[in-house]
Amino acid sequence: MDLFLQFLTNGLVVGVFYALSALGLTLIFGLMRVVNFAHGEFYMLGGVVGWFVTTYLGLDFFSGLVLVALAIGSFGWLVDRFLIERVRGQGEEPGILLTIGLSIFLVNITLLAIGPAPLKVARAITEGPIFLGPVTITKMRLLAMVIGIALIVGAHAIIHRTRLGSAMRATFQDPMAASLAGIRTKQVYAATFALGCTLSALSGMLLASIYSAQASVGGLVSLKSFVVVILGGMGSFPGAIAGGLLLGVAEALWGGYVATGMVDIIGFLLVILILVLRPQGLFSIRAERA
Amino acid sequence: MTLERNILLGLGVLAALLPFAITDQYVLHLAIMAIFYAILANSLNLVVGYVGEFSLGHTAFLGTGAYTAALLSVNAGWPMWAAVPAAGVVAALFGLAIGAITLRLQGPYFVIVTLSFAEVLRIVANNWIAVTNGPMGLAGVGQGGVSDKSAFLAIVLGLAALTFYLSYRFVYSNAGRAAVAVRENRYVAQSIGVNPFGTAMQAFVLGAFLAGLAGGFYAFYISFVGPEVFRFAFMATIIIMVLMGGKGTLLGPVVGAVIVTLLEEYLRELQELRLSLFGLIVMAIVLFLPNGLMGFVARRREQRGDAPSLSPAIEERTV
Repeated sequence: MDLFLQFLTNGLVVGVFYALSALGLTLIFGLMRVVNFAHGEFYMLGGVVGWFVTTYLGLDFFSGLVLVALAIGSFGWLVDRFLIERVRGQGEEPGILLTIGLSIFLVNITLLAIGPAPLKVARAITEGPIFLGPVTITKMRLLAMVIGIALIVGAHAIIHRTRLGSAMRATFQDPMAASLAGIRTKQVYAATFALGCTLSALSGMLLASIYSAQASVGGLVSLKSFVVVILGGMGSFPGAIAGGLLLGVAEALWGGYVATGMVDIIGFLLVILILVLRPQGLFSIRAERA
Repeated sequence: MTLERNILLGLGVLAALLPFAITDQYVLHLAIMAIFYAILANSLNLVVGYVGEFSLGHTAFLGTGAYTAALLSVNAGWPMWAAVPAAGVVAALFGLAIGAITLRLQGPYFVIVTLSFAEVLRIVANNWIAVTNGPMGLAGVGQGGVSDKSAFLAIVLGLAALTFYLSYRFVYSNAGRAAVAVRENRYVAQSIGVNPFGTAMQAFVLGAFLAGLAGGFYAFYISFVGPEVFRFAFMATIIIMVLMGGKGTLLGPVVGAVIVTLLEEYLRELQELRLSLFGLIVMAIVLFLPNGLMGFVARRREQRGDAPSLSPAIEERTV
């Protein structure tokens, strides 16, 4: 039973970051309908830029986090305005190919710049375990998890409490009506894309401070984020969180009790099951398939 | 239609004459790989171009074909002429099973669920060490059999001829036209009695069969099969070929396969910059050649007033 609680905690910690990254993707994939295969690359860039600003610019962890958010946010904005905007409204295929090209480019430029070795992001606090009954968790993990939860709450506030958030919701309900009402939809699309990328990048930097940042990690992150978004239902905020936690816990339990080698299979099996049994996802707003 | 057929026949004759003109092993290897990719790209095009659903799990069939051929050759000593068709049949059976689940879905759901199947197979191939030998892969496929490059070229040409014959017959049959009707408007197609699921299934299984044949050939040619055959990078290459050449045409994937194969080779000289440039080229194609090269050619022909375009599919898209 103690072992089970430990697995559960580990799963929940990882699940928070899955949720954070998937939250970014649910904005881009679920609402904007861009099947963004470069999503994991923004996650990777978050870790790498985080490593750069803490190691070379000598910033502390928290100002590094802010700088990463600004840098990746503006980069995401530019990507949308210069690339994604040009294929908007043409179905999925151009977007898929475009983001595959972008992801190939970003991975290889990063490899060229920093090489394939794992990089360590400077820690915010000294490492040390905390004992909660039978469960052990390190301080850094707890802190990263708290920041992750704060970011999720912050993103929710942006979407539901600000003017930008109302503009986003209006645009995704009906772009035509939104632009007639005076919303500059191009800016809204770019802002949504930038927000999605920022969430992914912050998740990447937080996890890089627990594990490490690596140029080649993006592909798997993209796939897992897609899995979580489908599990939770396209564009669903609570769905992305529940899906992320579910995937984290399921992987931790599978890795603990069944087999560590095949741990990545569980997400894909879940997605196949959910699409066969409940295609609209666990928490979808609309019950539609396409 | 006729033009497309004639160009394909011409290309086939040209490729058949290659071994007489060229003895350079490296050029022969490039030719073999280009034709192998043309088969694969064409098999994917049946789903992407004619059914109109974007499958990112095509490596599932390539991989099952390659593993089937490799296992039959290494464990049971099957020769190439028996193992490659068996690979096609096994891949087609996988296509039947996977299609039955995935073709119920459309749009982004279809994209992700097909990708999931390929990933599941990759992870199984990586971990089921008793059968697949895990990450080490299966080596020594087809040892003692064909080893001459020009013989391999003849075999892959034969497979390509079969592929394009079957695809041509399918595309210009009632089933193929029904698939195009579903692609253009699902509801109208249904209202005139086309069964979307059934027609999509036919194209999907045919595509899986052809990809399995290609996979079986690949196993014998490279004489090694590892879990990389299921990898997304492989998938990305094939999809780039289809879209660069122009989906929904028989000629497009051939053109795309030749260009990408040559591009990958020539960019090698730039070493580390190679893949970054490749990514940039892919983005440029999406932005500036949205219908692929064949779409570009078709539009030029229309502008000049040559009425019959290469294919009805292109005609509609470029209007």
